[in-house]
Amino acid sequence: MGTIAIGEKRMSHPLEITNLVKRFGGLTATDDISFHVEQGQSVGLIGPNGAGKTTIFSLIMGELRQNSGTIRLYGEDIGGLSTPARIKRGVSRTYQVPRPFGEMSVVENIRVGLMPDSIWKMITQGPDREREIELALSVGFSENDLNRRPDELSMGDLRKLEMARTMATDPSVMLLDEVFAGLTKGEIAQIGELIQQMRRDGMTFLIVSHDLKALEPLIDSAIAINYGSKIAEGDYADVISDPDVRSSYLGVA
Amino acid sequence: MGLRWYHFALWAGFIILMYAMPDLVSKGTLRTFIFANFLAIFAISWDVLSGRTGYISFGHPFLIGIGAYTTAILTKRFDVAIEISIPIAVVVTMIGSTLFILPALRIRGSYFALVTLAFMELIYQLVQVIRPDLTGGTRGMSGIETLTRGAVNGYYMSLSLMLAVAISMWLLMRTRVGTALSAIGMNEDSVQGSGLSTTRLKLFAFLTGAFVAGLGGAFYVHYLGSIAPRALFDINFVFTIIVAALIGGSSTIIGPMVGAFFLTYLLEYLRPFLPGAERYFIYGGIALIIYIYQPKGIYAVVMQAWERLRSGKSA
Ligand SMILES: Nc1ncnc2c1ncn2[C@@H]1O[C@H](COP(=O)(O)OP(=O)(O)OP(=O)(O)O)[C@@H](O)[C@H]1O
Ligand SMILES: [Mg+2]
Repeated sequence: MGTIAIGEKRMSHPLEITNLVKRFGGLTATDDISFHVEQGQSVGLIGPNGAGKTTIFSLIMGELRQNSGTIRLYGEDIGGLSTPARIKRGVSRTYQVPRPFGEMSVVENIRVGLMPDSIWKMITQGPDREREIELALSVGFSENDLNRRPDELSMGDLRKLEMARTMATDPSVMLLDEVFAGLTKGEIAQIGELIQQMRRDGMTFLIVSHDLKALEPLIDSAIAINYGSKIAEGDYADVISDPDVRSSYLGVA
Repeated sequence: MGLRWYHFALWAGFIILMYAMPDLVSKGTLRTFIFANFLAIFAISWDVLSGRTGYISFGHPFLIGIGAYTTAILTKRFDVAIEISIPIAVVVTMIGSTLFILPALRIRGSYFALVTLAFMELIYQLVQVIRPDLTGGTRGMSGIETLTRGAVNGYYMSLSLMLAVAISMWLLMRTRVGTALSAIGMNEDSVQGSGLSTTRLKLFAFLTGAFVAGLGGAFYVHYLGSIAPRALFDINFVFTIIVAALIGGSSTIIGPMVGAFFLTYLLEYLRPFLPGAERYFIYGGIALIIYIYQPKGIYAVVMQAWERLRSGKSA
């Protein structure tokens, strides 16, 4: 299976979504969406509030199940897998509303992300303290922050923690949901630089952000959605000047 | 695991003190200590299963009872040797605990507690209805083979078992698996989102908790030499276990152990003044006061004092 999987990996896209549909009762939150992200590419996913961006992330991660359509990761249909199984295959996300472990320090939060999904290894192998600290510092925490608890952290810090915990699962495809919301200019620059660094290292991204100024330099192309449907796709400049996008998203005709 | 010199010193001091106890106290007091040792084992078991994960078990006597009945029936009715029947009892208890995973897949909080409570009721009814010739029905069983004779031996046996359980569980929970189980109690979805199978982790907590409960239940029945279903499958017993764990400080292993001794002595000292069930009101009240003062229990109170002492010294 090894060689075939590698061959497949080279030929197929890291992430490929086909005719994805998700309904909440009468509301179609994801309406026949198809797109793919190529190896090492960074794609921006934009749309107004309630457009269905977060829902797509939850479907990719298996936190919600689609009504129909397929989600492929490196060619493999992951639609039936559990969330941890998908993470093991290399996809990981941040949450728009940070969800830290409330009574754990910054390093302990990261420790959970770094853990292998094997109880035996959890018991027999100690934590990788160097890697924990390295991850914490890479997202912009200072040495003093390492033992802070979530209730002592600002929104910006909580977003950094989300980033670090997501990076800790060692993904090759990262889904970032509003990582810039609530951050200061300095923090935005820092996280932006981190994303650029990971792009240079070959990471594949799907990034949701309302902060278009921060988003633009971080993406190769963009997808715009509204009411669960894809309304434009392509170069960021083309997407953003698309009349449908302008009227729906920017509120200008 | 981050073990420091004072961990060794504290455990060594505690072990020496406990083993010296038969020379220091009366036989009557020693019998109270024996009960405290067993309660400590049950409270530690509860802590392993519920303390970190937040899946509150109200059905611990269900697990303890499986262990106790299995070995009692095997030894008394089928003449199986104790060395064989106890391991079998532990395994059967662990198998029984997998029933807990069914509600734990879907529900948390008070509903989980209620379902586990129902397990206890269920087994209480079952031992009366199914094969009373084996279980002894409502009257239970007596004349079960005992492991020890006399208070001193009983004390050493229960103490050794309690210490083995306490130290091994304390070490286990200091590894990353303890961190992962705590994480489940704080935010189960985020544990999934960190790539860890929470079902497997919960099952591990249940199996380990059941291992301890089954072991404790089996040894307890071979200490007592009898089994009384009405006392075993009793809501008061459930509360005694949970209050011991909470008063001491859950998710610390040490806390439940300390809490078990505290509670046993509290009940014992109240006995001359309040012979009846009123005692339970008093301990409920004391538990409440401690809980209001420090929800994390005696363990946290001691830790805070220790921290203050250390910072006072260094300042
Ligand atoms: N679990 C759910 N149950 C019912 N409806 C939901 C659920 N999750 C999302 N929705 C609805 O689906 C639609 C899409 O929501 P989603 O959170 O995906 O939007 P979004 O693009 O991420 O919005 P925002 O920019 O505000 O984060 C919204 O109308 C929302 O109310
Ligand atoms: Mg959203």
